[in-house]
Amino acid sequence: MQKAQRLLDLAALLLRAAEPVSWREIQEQFPEDYGGSEEAAIRKFERDKAELLELGIPVRWLQGDEDLPAGYLIDKDDFYLPDLKLPPEDLALLYLSGSAALAGGDFPYARDLAHALEKLSFAARGPGASEAAGQAARTLSAGDGPGRGEVPSMLEELSRAIAAQKRVHLVYAGAERSETTERDVDPYGLYQAGGAWFLCGHCHLRGAVRTFHLARIRSLEVNRAQPRSRDFQVPPDFSVADLATREAWEYAVHPPERARVRLDGPVSAEDRASFGPRAELREEPGGATVELTVTNGEALLRHVLALGDRAELLAPVRLRRRAGTILSELARRVR
Amino acid sequence: MSAEPPRKDDARERLRRVLFLVPYAVRHPGLAVRELAERCGATEAQLLEDLDFLLTVGCPPFAPDDFLDLYVERDRVYVALHQSFTRPPRFTESEAAALAAAVKALGGEGRDRVLEALRQAVPRERRKAYDELARRIYAGSPPARGSVMDRLSRAIAGRRAVRLRHFSAARAEERERVVRPYTLARRFGHWYLFGHDQDRDRELPFRLDRIRDCAVLDETFEPPPPAALARARLFSEPHGHAIRLRLSRVAAAWALARPARLRVVERGADGAVVVEVEGADAEWVTRFALSFGGEAEVLSPPEARRHFEEAVQRALTRYQPAPAGAPAPRGRGAGTRRRRRARPASRLTA
Repeated sequence: MQKAQRLLDLAALLLRAAEPVSWREIQEQFPEDYGGSEEAAIRKFERDKAELLELGIPVRWLQGDEDLPAGYLIDKDDFYLPDLKLPPEDLALLYLSGSAALAGGDFPYARDLAHALEKLSFAARGPGASEAAGQAARTLSAGDGPGRGEVPSMLEELSRAIAAQKRVHLVYAGAERSETTERDVDPYGLYQAGGAWFLCGHCHLRGAVRTFHLARIRSLEVNRAQPRSRDFQVPPDFSVADLATREAWEYAVHPPERARVRLDGPVSAEDRASFGPRAELREEPGGATVELTVTNGEALLRHVLALGDRAELLAPVRLRRRAGTILSELARRVR
Repeated sequence: MSAEPPRKDDARERLRRVLFLVPYAVRHPGLAVRELAERCGATEAQLLEDLDFLLTVGCPPFAPDDFLDLYVERDRVYVALHQSFTRPPRFTESEAAALAAAVKALGGEGRDRVLEALRQAVPRERRKAYDELARRIYAGSPPARGSVMDRLSRAIAGRRAVRLRHFSAARAEERERVVRPYTLARRFGHWYLFGHDQDRDRELPFRLDRIRDCAVLDETFEPPPPAALARARLFSEPHGHAIRLRLSRVAAAWALARPARLRVVERGADGAVVVEVEGADAEWVTRFALSFGGEAEVLSPPEARRHFEEAVQRALTRYQPAPAGAPAPRGRGAGTRRRRRARPASRLTA
């Protein structure tokens, strides 16, 4: 019997059973599949159980008591996707987030996301549901054909490597160097910053955690050996969000230094937020002052310059002078 | 790439599809084959194959009534026996984690409630795995409260029209527009709003960083028809004149790795490049060039170069101490400006 068929048969049997089904009975119902040596049969059954669980179907073992025999069962409440009891505005947020992520064309676990949005139509009725379901179906039917782009297929590949904790081999082109390097990386996570996706993980070439711009990964190969066993453990204190929310001026380039930036009002929410969650903002007449600790002053300087005359770097003096110099040189050049 | 992509028709993918297909067909009896296929993200041929496959699936001891029975009559699909597959199974951890990452990136007040509901929809045994996986994807920080993105997400959720002040790159002008916001999407490295423009009476994309202001109106609207949405998603942006920039070798290495659509038109021996960016306005290009701290400048067209030049001049006045008695230099928002001199660094260094 084909595996897909066996798994569904098994699910149907355990879902419909009025009471737990013993291992003996299961063997009797699937004589070809769970025949042979007892040990091999049990191993195969355990693998099938694990695969069902990976599909969202939990098979449980129930201890017998006076009323019920011992055996396996799929509890309907555990199987069916429950109603998400959320107010309509929360559901709308859920649908909007999901379809916006899919519409972008590059999101990790995109197929999973599409399956989730399809299933959601059973568990929650809310504004945006049909738009999200339509977007999900289009994603699933788009498949993996050519023209899907390098980054989306790389994201898909890396998503699976991260979930299964399998090592990857990269050919990577450095930012300011033209040569490429080859390295093994334990993929810890993916993050998006400035519209681009980054892989972070333990780099075996550098012996430390490194981040990789997906657009600069020239080729990618996932370790195919022993697909069901993990190649590495992610350190418990590692956080993708911390890495991802690190502002460029928080990269460790020099010792920490306090900086101060004046913003002229009315200051937009975007400008305020652009200094990151760790900046201290003080409202002042006609604007605000931002104070922050930097370990890469050059990056802060560039950020402030990009805000144009709405922002002014006040301190440290060294950076303020550099801002003046850069702007006078530019002014001379473009005049 | 050497790694093989997943085959769309592998066993697992088929199982996921039929576990959705059967309950969907139960809930929508008599749906046309084409429509059901579309809804499942499959081709018609694939769907018919799935139906054939399902005929062999059942529940031991496999008496006639123990099989799944989905049949096609006059091109419509009906379910005679569903064997309890009346609802899809719970979320797998990667399904829930992907949704959670998308929700976290968009933020909103209900965020924590939504994340908890997603977690509860994963089988008990897999919640730990879900917690771990959800920490491994970070799709961006949620929009700042009161930002354009924040206001738009609420308007979309509440189906409320918005009044936008939007800069059109194609027309090189800023205009007020009343729009029914349908959805948000990230494309070409930028966020876009898709919606129905009242004046032009059609669906159009609006790039978020060109929306200067956004007010949520009282007017509500009906859910957009799927066809309109499909059209809106296959958009290509109207372009204005391409703007040219010169980037030094250092700036080029960074700029070309960004998702902004830059086209190299000239390469210098020293590694410097001239690039062209389409569909951008002078303000965006100016900010983009300045973010390279003197390593980039806007070349053409003349209006864009003038915009850049003026921005540089205005910013420069902030760093030149005004001679005693001279009036404060004028610039954008000069009326509200209070100029300050830098304090000595010693007071600020920790």
